[in-house]
Amino acid sequence: MTGQDKLFALFDKVVRASKADETEILYIGNNTGLTRFANSIIHQNVNESNARIVFRTVFGKKIGVASTNSLIFNDLKATLRNAMEIAKYQKENKYFSGLPGPESYPAVNTYYDSTAAYAPKDRARQVKKIFIRANKRKFLTAGALTTGDGEIALFNTKGVRCYQPYTSASVNIIAMSDTSSGYAVGLSRQIEDIDPVALADIAVEKAYIGKKPKPLEAGDYEIILEPAAVAALFEWVNYIGFGSKGFIDKTSFLADKIGQKVMDETVSIFDDGNDQSSIAMPFDFEGVPKKKVFFVEKGIGKGVVFDRTSGNRVGTPSTGHALPAGEQGEGAMPLNLFIEPGNKTRDEMIASVKRGVLVTRFHYINGFIDTPKAVLTGMTRDGTYLIEDGRIKHGVKNLRFTDSMLRAFSNVKGISKDRQLIPSWWDAVGCISAPTFHLGSFKFTGTTEF
Amino acid sequence: MKDKLNNALVWLKGKGVDYADARMVRIETESIKVTDDTVDTFSRNVNVGVGVRVICNGAWGFAGVSSLTEADIKKAANKALQTAKASATTVKEKVKLAPTEIYKDIYKSPCEKDPFDVPVHEKIGLLMEISDRLRTDSRIKTAESSADFYKTKKIFCSTEGAEIEQDIIESGAGYTAIAYDGKEVQKRSYPNSHRGDFATRGYEYVEGLKLLENVDRTREEAVQLLTADPCPNTVTDIIICGSQLALQVHESCGHPTELDRVLGTEISLAGGSFMQIDGLDKLKYGSDIVNINADATIPGGLGSFGYDDEGVKAQRAPIIRNGVHVGYLTSRETAPVIGKTSNGTMRADGWNRLPIIRMTNINLEPGEWELEDLIADTKNGIFFDMNKSWSIDDKRLNFQFGVECAWEIKDGKLGRMLKNPLYTGMTPKFWNSCDAICSKKYWHVWGVPNCGKGEPMQTARVAHGTAPARFRQVNVGVSK
Repeated sequence: MTGQDKLFALFDKVVRASKADETEILYIGNNTGLTRFANSIIHQNVNESNARIVFRTVFGKKIGVASTNSLIFNDLKATLRNAMEIAKYQKENKYFSGLPGPESYPAVNTYYDSTAAYAPKDRARQVKKIFIRANKRKFLTAGALTTGDGEIALFNTKGVRCYQPYTSASVNIIAMSDTSSGYAVGLSRQIEDIDPVALADIAVEKAYIGKKPKPLEAGDYEIILEPAAVAALFEWVNYIGFGSKGFIDKTSFLADKIGQKVMDETVSIFDDGNDQSSIAMPFDFEGVPKKKVFFVEKGIGKGVVFDRTSGNRVGTPSTGHALPAGEQGEGAMPLNLFIEPGNKTRDEMIASVKRGVLVTRFHYINGFIDTPKAVLTGMTRDGTYLIEDGRIKHGVKNLRFTDSMLRAFSNVKGISKDRQLIPSWWDAVGCISAPTFHLGSFKFTGTTEF
Repeated sequence: MKDKLNNALVWLKGKGVDYADARMVRIETESIKVTDDTVDTFSRNVNVGVGVRVICNGAWGFAGVSSLTEADIKKAANKALQTAKASATTVKEKVKLAPTEIYKDIYKSPCEKDPFDVPVHEKIGLLMEISDRLRTDSRIKTAESSADFYKTKKIFCSTEGAEIEQDIIESGAGYTAIAYDGKEVQKRSYPNSHRGDFATRGYEYVEGLKLLENVDRTREEAVQLLTADPCPNTVTDIIICGSQLALQVHESCGHPTELDRVLGTEISLAGGSFMQIDGLDKLKYGSDIVNINADATIPGGLGSFGYDDEGVKAQRAPIIRNGVHVGYLTSRETAPVIGKTSNGTMRADGWNRLPIIRMTNINLEPGEWELEDLIADTKNGIFFDMNKSWSIDDKRLNFQFGVECAWEIKDGKLGRMLKNPLYTGMTPKFWNSCDAICSKKYWHVWGVPNCGKGEPMQTARVAHGTAPARFRQVNVGVSK
């Protein structure tokens, strides 16, 4: 960890060489350790110390972006020069209205010493516990335990000084028999919140009850979606629907449906970067404080997120959801997704199903089929079961679904009161907080052999 | 630099490691994206550092550091060593590497025009012109054009004495028109979706893509799709264009023949494979005309290089021969499991990542057909063009692909355009239904710049040589 005083002093010195009207420096540094295992042995144990320093220089409405991973003063100056050179030859971006000025953002605790201090031997010790636990019931395991720390700093010549240190810890476990597998996942900023042994037990139990899965015909089924499955669906729904780009391009299912009913009235989905029950991060990558934004509230389409530039395209202020300079062509994107819980338990929902399917998680979802209808396809994985007369009957072979999420989530029979944090590709700065859902109809369109 | 890497390796040898290698990697990237009349991305990035890989007490350790100082490289070496020792506490069987020839060599990819030397205004000007011309129809809601360039320098040294220097330049570009008429949204891309087509070439590759020549057709087809009939749910013969077939090869042959996946080490993320070792030389993967090779030696292929990140020389290796599964993509650690030496497919996406088995250029070899004759020979069917969506199960059996556009084939002629086309199937059944592949004339090596694999996630640039091919009685649409 470099620390904010050192970083801002360095950037203050570097920025003196800038001839631009405005200059922004984004710093993202990380120290990450990952222990990956398969067949109940560690096969990959890696450590990385890296940084990304992104310069955005502004001449009028011309913008140049260049980045480096070196904090050496001369390398930073060379990168700044590069950004200025690019800006010189750029076309004006008529939607750009200058860099933001300073705003206050709430103090949130996102850093834990215990996570930062976690060493390869600590990870190996925990992973060994997973092996021993699973081996007692004759299951092999695969997965990964990741720990790390990092810091995000935002500096600009209009006075923005944002700094947030963070830690992150996650584990995913797949327990396997010859004919089945089970999955469990944990995520927190604090390593102590993650109990690998308890998660191993969940994965093993899932694999155990899924042994010798039977084929199930594709078709329309009542369904229980556990949090990892819900999060996987909404990771895609978020990507195609809740960002500014899809809204402007009209490819988002919300583009022409603000104020209209898009899902069941029990469904509310929002983004909140300040909620510490999740992986909080209080400002975006241009230093604008994050606002709470509802996408769907009680089933009604409410809005999407914007950064300053995409907001200007439609006359809306930034909601504090900018991606790093250089990636802003993708528009603003929510990173701290919450799906409102309900009032039921998972077991109550299973008990209410006459005949249906329980899904632990999905694999390889794709949402580009028909984005205005939010049609997704994907496969079930690591724990799919038939429910009959309110009880899990047996494991079933994996199924392909192809369905509109607007259709599927317009027929909600129940939502759990508990939610779980599910990692995503952006889990250093956010994740998805998802409950278990009971849906009345979900379309499976294909089968496979395992 | 070689001295610094070798000094760290000498130090590790002194600590009694079984094996170690050190890689300096410097990657310079340039990314340009124009949306409508705005350059919304023009960024350059430089990423440099050293990764050290160690086997000690029969287990792996790896550490990377974003510094080129001798002291920091040694620190990374020590961290890799300590990590290997921690990993060794769970080892059941000690890691053994297949022998390989040791090289001291220099490799440079072919490049006539360094894209980083091409004036900024020239690159922006081309993308702007494309965008302007795509938007000459008011129904084009958004026009996107982009270009991406990569310049990579690698120096690899090992305790076995390898010293390999490589300079690789990769270039690509493409564009998409998104059409909207108030109720329907459709898109059309050129030369391929997902940011275009790529090669290990210089800017001359972008100049040769005929980008401007195809703008009008792309715009018109995007608009035509707004009123096209939906693709029916049916079972019919299909012809798949080269770029979509490239992704089909990628997902249903490239990934399942990665031997690390087969051995289970990718289970936690990407999954396993149906192409198990006991099926090697037996599994009838496809029809007799299906021949697929992994060839890292094709000049200009996006999956081409001189040496992989274990110092193994680039090779051409058979994967499917006359429809039979005969080979895997292998590494020095995995190849001995099938009694072979590595065929050189270990690559990392930077100094900070451990090399893993990656596709090179996985090519479906061409057949003899003229495309015109193939369409004429198809009584009823659908022609599928250019990828839009992709999904496959975690053993690579059940797949579903969506494409941007399709055309009905009626009595051997292309007919009406169809929107939102999908096809789905099971991998071996699908490839066994392949009864015609177009000739070398239609064969092109399609660059895929965004292949994801591994934890932490790594992105590889790979390629697939393909020509249009026909498959009999395939499920089309969202039928069961």
